[in-house]
Amino acid sequence: MMSAGNDIVALEIIDRQRSSQPAFYSKILSAGEQALYRQEDLKEMFFDLFLWLLWSVKESVYKYKKRTSPSLSFCPAKIILQSIDLPSGRSLTDFTGRRWENTGYEEDEFYKGIILFGSEIFYSRSIIHRQLISTVVSSDRSFEGILWGLEMIDQPGYERQSAAVRAFALSKLERIAPGHDWQIIKSPVGYPIVLQGGRETDIPLSLAHHGRFVGYSFLSVPFLSSPSQPAPSQSSPSLPLRPPSQMAARS
Amino acid sequence: MDRQAILNELKLVLEPYTEDKEMLRGINDGTDLVKDLKINSANLVDIIIDAETKYNVEIDLDSAEKMITVGSCIDVIMAKMDR
Repeated sequence: MMSAGNDIVALEIIDRQRSSQPAFYSKILSAGEQALYRQEDLKEMFFDLFLWLLWSVKESVYKYKKRTSPSLSFCPAKIILQSIDLPSGRSLTDFTGRRWENTGYEEDEFYKGIILFGSEIFYSRSIIHRQLISTVVSSDRSFEGILWGLEMIDQPGYERQSAAVRAFALSKLERIAPGHDWQIIKSPVGYPIVLQGGRETDIPLSLAHHGRFVGYSFLSVPFLSSPSQPAPSQSSPSLPLRPPSQMAARS
Repeated sequence: MDRQAILNELKLVLEPYTEDKEMLRGINDGTDLVKDLKINSANLVDIIIDAETKYNVEIDLDSAEKMITVGSCIDVIMAKMDR
């Protein structure tokens, strides 16, 4: 089953001093990951940055799997980063502008990870600025069809973040396929569900927010990549629609 | 220490990490830390560390994984205090 997973860590609001305490980081990093940090090229990173990079990778994998395994609980130390490739230029820059949306997954700006969770392999792409870390994961190493975006909002706070991240994801859907009456609701488990004309679609969407930052990732199914295609009727067999069963209240 | 006493203290542990103070006042065993109290997942480890400090216990990874609701948090803390 298709899924999506992303995460954001607002570096501005984490407790960086606490992050460096063994009692804290040992609940997030496996022994192997702690050893990985001691590799020559990783030692150039501040440890807390490494820690929160891995947190965002692990949280993204958890969100990816939660859609297909609703009873799954989050234990970061059991989601294991196997390896990570760093960008060649690693000096941190500021997040500038209001929005960032990716145009590919092979750019040198990304931290590229390979993760093992149980017997499954996942691939990650992360971007780090002074203000934040953001990650997207996929079980497909090509990341084909996966869209990923970040937006800075004026005021943090749960309700504002929640509204802003939905508006951001809906604006992306609307820009790709206008006039489809997109909506986002929350499943009883907690993951977002994309509706089209009030009916559930199979578009896997993941939302994240922390501090002043919100972000989405979703797998665009083939009809989404054809913006010139007219809005299909609800009976169209090409649409990935499901019956409106298992619908949850609007989040 | 009984469940009610731990629940009352747990409110103090959770307080820095939730904006919904009204919901916090009315928490019960079924209250979900993320879904109901809107605690950001990035703070879940903070809560575990704070609980370890407050109750002078060590919460292992398998136990931490169970701390999803207020009730499961109390279960884990009581089990660790009994040791």
